[in-house]
Amino acid sequence: MAAHVDVLQGTLDMLVLKSLTWGPMHGYSVLAWLRQRSDDQLRVEDAALYPALHRLEARRLIESEWGLSENNRRAKFYRLTTAGRRALREETSHWSRYVSVIDRILSATGPATRTA
Amino acid sequence: MRSARRYLRFFGPDPAADLDDELAFHLDMRVAEYVRLGMSEPDARRRIAEEAGDMDAARHECLEIDQRELRRQDMREAFGTWMRDVRVALRSLRRSPGYFAGVVATLALGIGATTAIYSVVHGVLLRPLPYPEPDRIVQLFQLDADARKGQWSDPNFADVRERLRGFDAVAQFTPAATLSVAGAGEPFRAGASAVSGDFFRVLGVRPLRGRTFAPEELVPGGSPAVVVTESFWRNQLGGSEDVIGSRLTIGRTTYSVVGVMERALAFPAGAGIYLPKELNAPSPFRTGHNWQALARVNAGTSMQSAQDAISRVARELKQQHGDDTMMSDATFVPLRDQLVGKSRKVLLLLLAASGLLLLIACANVVNLLLARATARRGEIAVRLALGAGRARLVAQFLAESAVVAGVGGALGVVLALVGVRALLRLEPGDLPRAGEIGTNLPVLGFALLATVLVALALGVIGALRGGRGALREVMAEGQRSMSGSGAARRLRDTLVVAQIALALVLLVGAGLLGRSFLAVFNQYPGYRTEGVLAMDVTLSGGDTTVLASNVRFYDEVLERGRALPGVMHAGAVNALPLAPGGVSSGMFIIQRSIAERLTFDDFRALSKIPERVGESQFRIVGGDYFRAMDIPLLRGRLFDGQDAPDAPHLALISESLARSRWPDEDPLGKIIQYGGMDGDPRPFTIVGIVGDVREANLEARPLPTFYASYRQRPRMAGRMNLVFRAQGDPAALSAPLRGIVHELRPQVPPRFRTMQAVMTESLASRRFVLVLIGVFGAAALLLASLGVYSVIAYLVAQRRREIGVRMALGARPESVRRMVVREGVVLAGVGVVVGALFAMAGRRYVEGLQYGVRATDVPSFTAVSVLLVTVAALASWFPARKAAAIPPADVLRS
Repeated sequence: MAAHVDVLQGTLDMLVLKSLTWGPMHGYSVLAWLRQRSDDQLRVEDAALYPALHRLEARRLIESEWGLSENNRRAKFYRLTTAGRRALREETSHWSRYVSVIDRILSATGPATRTA
Repeated sequence: MRSARRYLRFFGPDPAADLDDELAFHLDMRVAEYVRLGMSEPDARRRIAEEAGDMDAARHECLEIDQRELRRQDMREAFGTWMRDVRVALRSLRRSPGYFAGVVATLALGIGATTAIYSVVHGVLLRPLPYPEPDRIVQLFQLDADARKGQWSDPNFADVRERLRGFDAVAQFTPAATLSVAGAGEPFRAGASAVSGDFFRVLGVRPLRGRTFAPEELVPGGSPAVVVTESFWRNQLGGSEDVIGSRLTIGRTTYSVVGVMERALAFPAGAGIYLPKELNAPSPFRTGHNWQALARVNAGTSMQSAQDAISRVARELKQQHGDDTMMSDATFVPLRDQLVGKSRKVLLLLLAASGLLLLIACANVVNLLLARATARRGEIAVRLALGAGRARLVAQFLAESAVVAGVGGALGVVLALVGVRALLRLEPGDLPRAGEIGTNLPVLGFALLATVLVALALGVIGALRGGRGALREVMAEGQRSMSGSGAARRLRDTLVVAQIALALVLLVGAGLLGRSFLAVFNQYPGYRTEGVLAMDVTLSGGDTTVLASNVRFYDEVLERGRALPGVMHAGAVNALPLAPGGVSSGMFIIQRSIAERLTFDDFRALSKIPERVGESQFRIVGGDYFRAMDIPLLRGRLFDGQDAPDAPHLALISESLARSRWPDEDPLGKIIQYGGMDGDPRPFTIVGIVGDVREANLEARPLPTFYASYRQRPRMAGRMNLVFRAQGDPAALSAPLRGIVHELRPQVPPRFRTMQAVMTESLASRRFVLVLIGVFGAAALLLASLGVYSVIAYLVAQRRREIGVRMALGARPESVRRMVVREGVVLAGVGVVVGALFAMAGRRYVEGLQYGVRATDVPSFTAVSVLLVTVAALASWFPARKAAAIPPADVLRS
């Protein structure tokens, strides 16, 4: 198995929101989806996931409903709210800008050049 | 197990159980995943436990989030319900606008009056002084052998300051005295206080511009400097930026303004200018008690040990100086208590009065509320029958009373804002710290608290009474009976009795104060005020040449004033009766002969022999003072031109001084001297006895008084009131007199008052309290009569049927009317008796405020009782007339 990457502080909420884009899911399948999309490289602790879910729900970014799982067991399903969708859009664009800026800095090849 | 719990959830959310279900499902799914890959279940669980992290902590965190969320939801829901109740209440109140307006107006009156008075109480009594650590600022007093508080002499103060430990700073000051000041423009009058160097340090105030006194300004003969207050700078000096270094001329000295103090400094009252005390050499007389003293207690010293310290120092000094000092001990009083002083009693009385008014208002509102609740019993019963919970009904009652109290409270605050402004305009000017009164957070908090309490009281009483037994009764009795239950009736009667009782307390208070006012007003002051104009001028002293020219100025103004048309007499006095300021008193020695020469030591020795000493007020007069004021000459003669400076010095004494000091002798011809109190050791020969004058106020007994002539004793004639008796309106004299003064001394600004105005002003604070209590009393009377009216009107509506039957059986309209009116009169009678008891119990609140009447004044009690019963009878008469007009046929047919 390849070396794990830990989830950066603050990005877990965004990832959880993303996972719910295509429809309601329960906690286990959110975890499974994150593992699968990262080719098992991203390590999300079960103990971190659930507080994140509950927090997002308290912030009205996702809502929950009890339903039946694929194996016919009672499970709590989470779904994105409109506010959650908006938050995901904003966070995603912010994240992309952040990554590109950091990347530009880290890929610098020489000291600063004076422009004026 | 789990499924059972699911059904239990029907009764409400259970976040812990839900969370456990959710996490258990998660774990099962994870285990199943590993088992699918071929792991045994125990291995899978172990593996997951390693990977998953601290699940207990996660569970705990989730639970916290969920519970917080749940609480928030509950609150939001409760708020939503409450808003709905409020909307319902508003709708139902809109349907009965008369009731709504009545209740709101009544509450606004009560809350407004209480809040207005409270804002005065807060500003004057409760608010800390606007200085840093104000509780440590104290006013020092020396105590004489009889433990009477007194002012300080320079030597005593200097010794105490040198030895005292545990104080940060001590300072001397004088109360503000009026001086004539000339600046760049017209001369004006201003309050000035002499203060010693540490005065500002004691208070902890800083200059806004410039600085306080520098060391070279704090020595005798140093460069003359003044510090001014912020308001003096703005109002008298135009608030100009280049005020520092500008010059003010007071008398013959020109001072330069070195500082403007920050706004907080408003002490001593009336001071605009501060002169450095140290500019003049300290007095060597240990018994010249001319200074007040202020100190700041060190932060590390307890008040008790500070008290002990000053007392110890004073007693040491007594031992050292013995009879040379009159100080036996010393003490201090927190400055705030000293400032507030006499106002406390009056303000607390007013607060109590406004509180009574609020209670009466509440009783009225509860009464209206009950009537309304009873009227709505049909509606309530239907709601109960339809399954509305009692709690919901109570909640709705609370919402309604919250709306009513809220609107009433808001209007009350508006009323209070207006009221405080009116109060301050009415205020006689002797209220300490009046500048600090205003509407601020604590005052608004008080209004809010009053409103909330009122809302709760109304809601709870209304809900308890209005909701109780409604269903059963209405269902059983049908629409026919709308009569309130006996308990409700009793409660309403009690409320009316309470209202009458409280109104009686207020009105008796107003009556006592009113009769006291009349008694004071009719008190003959010892002179005739009609037709007299007083002109207040302040000149500055100096050497004998200056003093002589002052006397010439007075003489000339009097002479030219007397020549004005209509002027009959003109005279002068240094302290005008009934006007504050300028009084002095002292101890005198009776000499054996005019030739007897007494040294200071002789004086001190003689002052211990009772038959050689006396004490009196000391006044300087001139011209025809006694004729101008119409103070009778009882024996002997007036000065009448015999008072040349070099002639033997003459004196007149008042009747009470003659009677108290020489009861069995003839005082005429007696030789007395005041030990150089005014810097002149020459003795006086008493040549006449004049009538007594009420000096300090109309209430206090005339003080034994001594009069000398300003020609012979000009030193204490710096500030004089020239009085002119005229035929016709004395105020018309002010213009020509002002012209005369301007011609003679353009730099002296005179102030004119008629003696009538002076006397009226001396009654101002008494009138202030009387007007307020009177207004409260009138409002209470109005509210109480409304209370009686509403209860009796309601009673008539209830007993409509019974009355109809009586009339059908031959009862005459008069007897029906009499029966109804009797109900009102009985309630009022009980109220009067209860109120009289209350008033007797609370009479110590007016003690000291009444004059010429006793707190148990029978006429006041009788008049008020009769008034209340009459008003109650009148208030019942309207419903009684309605009752007598009930057509029996209609009632019987229905």
